[in-house]
Amino acid sequence: MNDDATLHDAKLQEVARRLGARAAERLDVERTAQAVVERLRTEPRAEVRVLGGIRPAWLRIAATLVIAVGAGVVVRSLWRHHPIGTALIAAGGAGAGAGADLNDLSLDQLRQVLEAVDQPGGEHEAVSAQDLSLDDLSTLELRALLESLEG
Amino acid sequence: MTPAEPVAAVPTDAALIAAWHGGDEPAAAELVRRHARALARFLAGAGALVADVDDLVQETFIRAFRALRRFRGQCQFRTWLMTIGGNVLKDAHRRSRRARMVPLGDDVRATDGDPHERAVASEAERRLAAGLEQLPRMQREVFLLRAQQGLEYDEIAAALGTTPGAARVHYHHAVRRLKEHIQ
Repeated sequence: MNDDATLHDAKLQEVARRLGARAAERLDVERTAQAVVERLRTEPRAEVRVLGGIRPAWLRIAATLVIAVGAGVVVRSLWRHHPIGTALIAAGGAGAGAGADLNDLSLDQLRQVLEAVDQPGGEHEAVSAQDLSLDDLSTLELRALLESLEG
Repeated sequence: MTPAEPVAAVPTDAALIAAWHGGDEPAAAELVRRHARALARFLAGAGALVADVDDLVQETFIRAFRALRRFRGQCQFRTWLMTIGGNVLKDAHRRSRRARMVPLGDDVRATDGDPHERAVASEAERRLAAGLEQLPRMQREVFLLRAQQGLEYDEIAAALGTTPGAARVHYHHAVRRLKEHIQ
């Protein structure tokens, strides 16, 4: 075989069969057999257990729950810091439940909500309520505002 | 002329496994003796350092004996052992990100004593080992089980939890990529 010659399938298999032969020859089989038996004797044959006897299946379930709860906390935290969430929470005020009607909101509270809705998603630019005017409202927003004022 | 001694039947792997389940330690030792060298070749071919092969072989047998009740005889014990060896090797690599090249020495086997032939054989093995490292695990294991261990696709598929057709495809992809690498 030339140094850089193409290896045909048979040649490839021949080389593959040689691969690892040196490691196999170096292995002391009898010593390995005795070591394995000794380890099997001294190390318990019980099922694999971790953390003081908790089965891995239960551990996985617990880990899943922790991840789910953690994700919930993160989402809740993000929501509270998101303009929409902040505005709704502010608009809700003390004692205002999740079912609070828009009709119950004051003009300032409505403006906060509209400001929050107007924010592009993901961008948390600090735009104060004072920067907004009625000119900035869309037709739908104006209609909603008027309806709430009429109510 | 003395009557011929009755030839003691060589116990099958299944018989040794059953004996081990019954607490027969020599049965376990016999299983190790039977399959340790083939396992060592597989592990070295899959990228284990020669210096690590002894420990990896031991660890593979320990895991295998502990999981033996899950072995349903879907493939040969040796083939099943090698799939466990693949997992042991993967875990070992994860623990230590050392180079996985098989350090082939100057004494690489060649049937004749021609130094040039030996050098060429050594180079081919080195390239093949390097090429195997580049393969996805499935392709590498299928290639080794087929080309190094000489197993049929049915057997390989049963051990690796795939179909014979898929095993064949993995093998051909492996060969193609190895050829590209070696060239």
